[in-house]
Amino acid sequence: MAEPATLEDKKEKKIKAHEEKQEWWWIAEKRRSRRLDYLRKAVWKKGALGGNYAPGIKLDLEGPTLFTDMWKRNHTDPIMLRRAKALAHLLDNIPIFITDKAQLVGYMGSLPHTLAWRVDGASIVNEEAYNEPGIHEEPEAESLKTVAELNAYWAGQTAIDKVARILDPEDAVKFLSGAIGWGAPTSAYGYSAKNYEYFMTGERAFEDIIDEIDANIEKAEEKTIGTPGPDILPLYDRIHNWEAMKIVLEAGIRYANRYARLARIVAESFESDPKRKEELLRLAETCERVPAKTPRNLQESLQYDFFVQIISRHEAHEGAWPSRPDYYHGPYYDKDVNIEKNITREEALDLIGEFMIRTYEVGGFGPRWAREGLQGITGTWVWTIGGVKPDGSDACNDMTIALMHAARLVRVANPTLSFRWHPKVSDEVMREIFECNRQGLGYPNLRNDPILVANAMHWHGHPIEEARLWMNQACLSPCPPTKHGQQPMRMASATANCAKIVEYALHNGYDHVVSMQMGPKTGDARKFTDFEQLFEAWVKQMEWIFNTLVRTVNLGRFKDPEFFGRPFLSAISERSVESGLDIVSPVGDRGNSWITAFTFVENIDSLAAVKKLVFDDRKYTMDQLITALEANWEGYEEMRLDFVKGAPKWGNDEDYVDDIMLRCLRECARHSKVIKDPSGNNWPILPENVSGNIHYANIVNALPNGRRLGDALYDGGISPGPGLDKKGPTAVLKSCAKIDHVTHGRAFLLNQRLSPTQLAGEKGYQLWKAYVKTWADLGIDHIQFNVVSDETLYAAQRDPEKYSEVIVRVAGYSAHFVDISRKTQDNIIQRTVQGLG
Amino acid sequence: MKCTECGHEAESGSFRYLYNARIDASVSLRQCPSCQEWLAVDELKSEVRQKVRPGEAPWGKSAGIEGLAEDV
Repeated sequence: MAEPATLEDKKEKKIKAHEEKQEWWWIAEKRRSRRLDYLRKAVWKKGALGGNYAPGIKLDLEGPTLFTDMWKRNHTDPIMLRRAKALAHLLDNIPIFITDKAQLVGYMGSLPHTLAWRVDGASIVNEEAYNEPGIHEEPEAESLKTVAELNAYWAGQTAIDKVARILDPEDAVKFLSGAIGWGAPTSAYGYSAKNYEYFMTGERAFEDIIDEIDANIEKAEEKTIGTPGPDILPLYDRIHNWEAMKIVLEAGIRYANRYARLARIVAESFESDPKRKEELLRLAETCERVPAKTPRNLQESLQYDFFVQIISRHEAHEGAWPSRPDYYHGPYYDKDVNIEKNITREEALDLIGEFMIRTYEVGGFGPRWAREGLQGITGTWVWTIGGVKPDGSDACNDMTIALMHAARLVRVANPTLSFRWHPKVSDEVMREIFECNRQGLGYPNLRNDPILVANAMHWHGHPIEEARLWMNQACLSPCPPTKHGQQPMRMASATANCAKIVEYALHNGYDHVVSMQMGPKTGDARKFTDFEQLFEAWVKQMEWIFNTLVRTVNLGRFKDPEFFGRPFLSAISERSVESGLDIVSPVGDRGNSWITAFTFVENIDSLAAVKKLVFDDRKYTMDQLITALEANWEGYEEMRLDFVKGAPKWGNDEDYVDDIMLRCLRECARHSKVIKDPSGNNWPILPENVSGNIHYANIVNALPNGRRLGDALYDGGISPGPGLDKKGPTAVLKSCAKIDHVTHGRAFLLNQRLSPTQLAGEKGYQLWKAYVKTWADLGIDHIQFNVVSDETLYAAQRDPEKYSEVIVRVAGYSAHFVDISRKTQDNIIQRTVQGLG
Repeated sequence: MKCTECGHEAESGSFRYLYNARIDASVSLRQCPSCQEWLAVDELKSEVRQKVRPGEAPWGKSAGIEGLAEDV
């Protein structure tokens, strides 16, 4: 007689059934520990659903009120000192909490369901916060009164108000039209790369940095009472800056100690479970140790990193999370799990999984354009893993694998992982990458390390050892976390809505959506008699858009130390601790700028369609085309279909259209070296989209590629239009490989959708691995995969609650499918499913 | 064009254009100005095909899914 099935047997049987149906989210729920399951389900999701916050998410008023109170009290202080004191006051007083079962702590708001609010960033965002329905705590009238009071105080004196006052008025109006770019030219918002090589290598922590600052202040003060001369004049300001850095580092230590005290009080006075009591005491010890002193184990290392991230986000609204967790935490993992065996691998997975969950929880209030452009998430938390060490050897370690394992267990959409592929990566690691993608996470994406190291050296002159340390500063742009390589703040306003380039070339620089003359008058396109005239107009419009956006960012970056100030970010940056300058000052920055090129491929398909159907085949005239475009193709459906189907499209290995892509990129690359950042370095372009292709759907007019106003744009980067790459996956790669991924731009996003059925089993892995090898051999810098079936996605549309953990790759980030708008969902479903082999 | 849900009849252009998820198909989504329903419209014939509910894509499945898009 057979033995009765045990609970474990039953569980395995259920898992097997889910595996057959590729329901990976149910498997994750069954495989993860009870702690991870609890923590994952206890999270308050801050990512906006389409463009709206989920029910229950509320605007935090404690943080902005505390910050503003202290800001008002110190109105005579220089800006760095004033900000440091306000931030310290916030860290000393904001309510803190420890989530049940948690082993890591820290949050940006006063309660888990609250959205942090950067009240001193932009008045226009503050007004949106006031007017956003559903996010104000009850009693709502009282909350709104507080918001109104804060807004009244900050009106006219936020960072953006100050920049706007000195921008050229014409640039300001065109930028604020929302048609050509987004973002804000201030370090109040943006992507802060961090100098991990300074504070995260185990050599120093906050107390050590305070000692360095003290020594610098002492030296400077000696000079200021010494022989008079021009060299001592800058020191007066720098002493204030150093004092500001010291204030926030000390406050950071006190902030951690508040958690230590809370954990100890709960453990000693309230906790009845001895195991949890032990955990809380360990948590208390951890917070007493870091960030004051260097970490001794994995938990302390993760907690140290997390405190840095949280304090930094109390200082500014950071829209990205540049990080390389396996590289910096890996040695502690190795020590704890492999060498000293202080914890088991499962216990380490609990810590790493929670590290990802704590990160997923972080969120600040964003304006509607940001919520629509980053649907489902609150920022691009892209963590970089793999890659090489400065000497070129493989940097992968056990933590690399553990991170991918943890990712499959917790299935969060933010952070996502980005893997730096190189020829020495082991098969074991490749299998982990494959497994994450096969299980539908949409990450890790793959980055071609040798290409990107060469690219970093080409565009920004990073020495090779520095370039090899790179991590993604936002979605895709490599940035070394070193003294001179670190770009402290990438302001997102150098993000170009590139489909407008061809639109303006066709409409003499006039924008029919915002009804304004935007670009230069490059001629009435109805009168163009050959393709060269159109292309010449395209080049002029491209230069104009890039110039306009870069001017605003350069100005914002240059004036930021005067208008905003980043004492904490400066305090964890070697350059600032050494010089006494705000880290956002361009002095000593090698420069790592890039123009994010949204909606780029529409240009290529549109130019190719005009060349083919108007100038080569002479099937239509320019007059007919412009008339149809002005009618938004309404009444011209047959002609529209001709422009879609009757002209070659990018991604099919057809030189006719691929040559136009190369011509356009060469012009962009040429101009990238003409325009300079505040450090005097180049501005290469980086084609990618996030979900800007949806945000801009109602802003970009009808185009010759057959798109109408309202239709989603292509999914971005150098990805072909959904459904238009008809010649298979290798043809896509061949088109993309015609681009020089070193000299044509900074990076190029490529989405590929693969069949989950085809990727099953060992055969699936071998097919995928061979495809990746082709990709790498062809020198393409990026690729990412969606491996989810149409059936699953349709089912998720019908029954979202049952499919809440289905993840899709949107662009440079992943999102839970149910959190993105119907239009974005449909756009992803329509991407071509490529067959490998 | 006639709405299949409420019978409202008018020029197709007066039905609010929403989007066309598949650029190479002549089926688009429009909204009836009378009952506000989302409708799948054949743009060549100016005919309403059906009301669109969650999980339905009247313009067809993803390119390649019926027979995977393979190298040619």
